[in-house]
Amino acid sequence: MGMTITEKICARASEKTEVKPGDMINATVDKLYIKDLRFAKAEDPKGLYGVFKELLNSIGITRAWDPERVIINFDEQPARNTKRAEGQLTAKKFKEEHGATVYEGELAGIGHNVMVEKGHVKPGEFIVGADSHSCTYGALGCFSTGIGFTETVGVLATGKIWLKVPPSIYVELKGKPPSWIWGKDIILRIMAALGPNGAINRTIEFGGAAAAEISMDSRLCMCNMAVEMVALNAVFPPDERSIEYVKQVCPGGFQAVHSDPDAEYESRRVFDLTNMEPFVAAPGVPSNGRPIGEFIGTKIDQAFIGTCSNARIEDLRVAAKILKGKKVHAGVRMIVTPASYGAYFQARDEGLLEVLQKAKVLVTASECGICTRPSLTSGETCISSGNRNFPGRMGDRDAKIFLGSPATVAASAIAGEIVDPREFL
Amino acid sequence: MKRLFKGKAWKFGDCLDSGNINGVMAGVDPEFHKKVQPGDIIVAGINFGMGSSSENAPRSLKDAGIAAVIAESISNIYLRTLINLGLPAIECSGISQVVEEGDELEVNLESGEVRNLSNGAARRFAPFSDGTIAILDKGGLIPFLRETLARDEV
Repeated sequence: MGMTITEKICARASEKTEVKPGDMINATVDKLYIKDLRFAKAEDPKGLYGVFKELLNSIGITRAWDPERVIINFDEQPARNTKRAEGQLTAKKFKEEHGATVYEGELAGIGHNVMVEKGHVKPGEFIVGADSHSCTYGALGCFSTGIGFTETVGVLATGKIWLKVPPSIYVELKGKPPSWIWGKDIILRIMAALGPNGAINRTIEFGGAAAAEISMDSRLCMCNMAVEMVALNAVFPPDERSIEYVKQVCPGGFQAVHSDPDAEYESRRVFDLTNMEPFVAAPGVPSNGRPIGEFIGTKIDQAFIGTCSNARIEDLRVAAKILKGKKVHAGVRMIVTPASYGAYFQARDEGLLEVLQKAKVLVTASECGICTRPSLTSGETCISSGNRNFPGRMGDRDAKIFLGSPATVAASAIAGEIVDPREFL
Repeated sequence: MKRLFKGKAWKFGDCLDSGNINGVMAGVDPEFHKKVQPGDIIVAGINFGMGSSSENAPRSLKDAGIAAVIAESISNIYLRTLINLGLPAIECSGISQVVEEGDELEVNLESGEVRNLSNGAARRFAPFSDGTIAILDKGGLIPFLRETLARDEV
């Protein structure tokens, strides 16, 4: 019987010739991503470092499984609370004692983007990360999913993880995507169609003729949002575009994996992207997406381009294109937080940051920023390129968060209300 | 860990993200931590624990003495974390239709059944795998690893 990309990677990682959905596997992990915050204070017996150290002591092991495979990133710099500062200090201590690759300073940004840009993600790999958005890496044709820190301790000790092989949903993209459509629009539409529970603990496998036309930055956004439909992982089949990208950022070889023609999918969904409208998700859950027409005229107080979902160079370019020579509406604060220093420096070199600043955008250091830090008060409304619009996610529970593409965010910032970005492109 | 146990049900809705579960359901009911008793059971709708992989939310339920979480569906990361902390997390279709707040439930992890002792209704769920039962029996992943790695069985 044929296998999907995800099944093939699960089989290879667990040294089996064949697996099927529902099989329990004990997989060897190729890469483990950990963010600074997870480490906690070294002396905290309930923190990642404390639990790991206690485990090693109790079984008489001194080293972590494989320092070559452990990547740590500082997601917020400078640390804005003591907890984060402690996590960063402990992460450095961990590196000294066990070895690991640590990204900080101008090499960092948001970890998921750093993982990809610095070449730690390769097609065919089995990757886990101590953050829910570790599903982002599937854009490069690998298996990747988020885990909690207790499980992270398990991987650090053994290099392995127990997993039930997920069933796959095949999402066929066809037609000609119009120039005003980005990954965020497409994924919001798919999520709305599948419903809040439609992909739970399953794999989303993208495919179809239109998939090849979707940029890498848009693919990363689409896979990033997989966890927002409660999927286990999402994957794009490796193609010319992604292989070319991987060759640019990763030294060394890799084994690209493709689904067999007779692979079995739990279900198939088809989305025609021809003439597609921009999409926006209403507050509550990210699967609340509808065509933008239903939201036109909604007044906003804040516009945000940032997060591991959308603040890559493609997003900064479109924001600058829309905001060039314009001004953010007087009643709106607009914040742009590049997703990594790679994107930040490229935007600077292309003159994009200056364009944004002249339009009265507050450009911040590269980090998770206000996606994880309160910035909205009761009654305020934000249009965000981020991935989460849960009540209270960006501050007060009564604040409203709409999700849209960076083009929609930039255009709405100028108008002071949600508008169709096509009028500004 | 007990494989057969009884507890009082507290009922919650759909799509509760881990941010709102954190602090023993503080985002939904700031007073809940005062009402809940050790051994109580949380019953919820779809997508319980969606969102962040932070362990603060599942740990707050563990620390409050919750005996089990039973929901229509549970996010993978959240479900795994609860089990890794030694707290049974059960996906059980139709559970919210047969349970009202305050009902007395009996859970059998081996046979895969929840019985509502207050109204006589019952719902089945997929019994836990041997591996999951082994982790729960030891009280979570870390105590499980401590024992198995010491015996060099992993």
